[in-house]
Amino acid sequence: MSIVFLILSILSMAAAIAVKVMFVPASDGIDISGAHVFFTIKMPIQDLPITEAQVNSWCVILAVLFLCLFLTTGLKTRNISIRQMVAEWIVEKVTGLVRTNMGEYFEGFAPFIAAILGLSGFSSLSSLLGLFPPTSDINIIAGWAILVFFLITYYKMKAGPWIYLKSFGQPQPLLAPLNIISEVATPISMAFRHYGNVLSGSIISVLIAVGLTKLSNSLFSFLPGAIADFPYLRIGIPAVLSIYFDLFSGCLQAFIFAILTMLYVAGGFPAEEYAARKKRRQERAAAKAARSQTAGKHADN
Amino acid sequence: MQDLDIISVNIWHIVISLANLVILFLILKKLLFKPVKKIVDKRQKEIESEYKKAEKTQAEADAIKAEWEGKMATAEAEADKIISDAVERADSRNEVMLYESREKADQIIRKAKADIERERKDARETIKKEIVDVSQTLSEQIIGREINMDDHRDLIDKAIDKIGEEQ
Repeated sequence: MSIVFLILSILSMAAAIAVKVMFVPASDGIDISGAHVFFTIKMPIQDLPITEAQVNSWCVILAVLFLCLFLTTGLKTRNISIRQMVAEWIVEKVTGLVRTNMGEYFEGFAPFIAAILGLSGFSSLSSLLGLFPPTSDINIIAGWAILVFFLITYYKMKAGPWIYLKSFGQPQPLLAPLNIISEVATPISMAFRHYGNVLSGSIISVLIAVGLTKLSNSLFSFLPGAIADFPYLRIGIPAVLSIYFDLFSGCLQAFIFAILTMLYVAGGFPAEEYAARKKRRQERAAAKAARSQTAGKHADN
Repeated sequence: MQDLDIISVNIWHIVISLANLVILFLILKKLLFKPVKKIVDKRQKEIESEYKKAEKTQAEADAIKAEWEGKMATAEAEADKIISDAVERADSRNEVMLYESREKADQIIRKAKADIERERKDARETIKKEIVDVSQTLSEQIIGREINMDDHRDLIDKAIDKIGEEQ
């Protein structure tokens, strides 16, 4: 039963590969361009082109969905399987990470952080399968960063909009413009950091591949005919670089994005003011309740 | 179809990506975190109940052990008491027997003494009588005349008593 979900999970990534093989024309590996556009939907404001980035991220989501189902089928309380151990390990680690970085109050953020880690990590790692990594599309990361920005603002507003507005005038009212700029810069810097790292990785990979082809051609030009044209130096060397640019950088950027999300959301949250406000509200509610009770008694009399 | 430019901003892409992240968040929350948390909590509860059960069993075992130890102690004390009672009883019976035997011995001795005394008395009576008779006969023969028997006897008795006292 559970193996079906694993197969479906793998199949969804295989579907992405199949789509790419069927619809994306083969390139020589020299052109540096964005995602391939499959078709365009007419939309207000701006047309919506459905690109490789969209399709791949949906495939990643499907893969993660089936992976979750695979991990959580047949949970038991004792004699647990390796699948369940993995599932519990993931949940425990992410919850622990969130708790240490954000505190007890934000424990509900664990699935969100896991979603960022999973989506970003798997998207970056999809380049290992020869797919276009969705994380090298600025729009994808921008969407996440804007969501994080909303969260940061929401939690800053938790202690009341007045305190939120006042926080811009600190430590000096004159610095308000700078504070506003830094506030806006947060999601932009997050988006560009992640996107730039992944995209630069693929660009450098392409450049190195081209460079190695040229170098190999000039080095082995003494060989006769077609044998000389084969890019010998492209065997192995790009794979080593790919370990850094695709595997390491992809995981690292996912981790950095998650950590920054946690730090910004938890750091912007004015815990003391929020606690004070909550207390005030409770007191007010208690006073109101007491008043209404006495009023009720008077009415009875 | 052509490729996108390397940097091209599309508002719909941003919205879709934002929605994607929210969807994945919901998927992970409902399908991974919730069931795993549930099962972990359940296991925690089970462990706690197991612990409680074990503690209860331990307490019961301890109580039974204490009870048995108490019983053992009383049993030992009882055994000691029984032994000491037996010893005491034996001692007292011994004493009684000893006393009784001594008593009997005393009685025998007393009886013997009484017998002896009586014998002696008898013997003395007999001897006295003999002496009186003999002395009467002797004195009759010596004096040769009848003696007032009663006076005579009285006299001799006195003499014999005197002798007995001197003895």
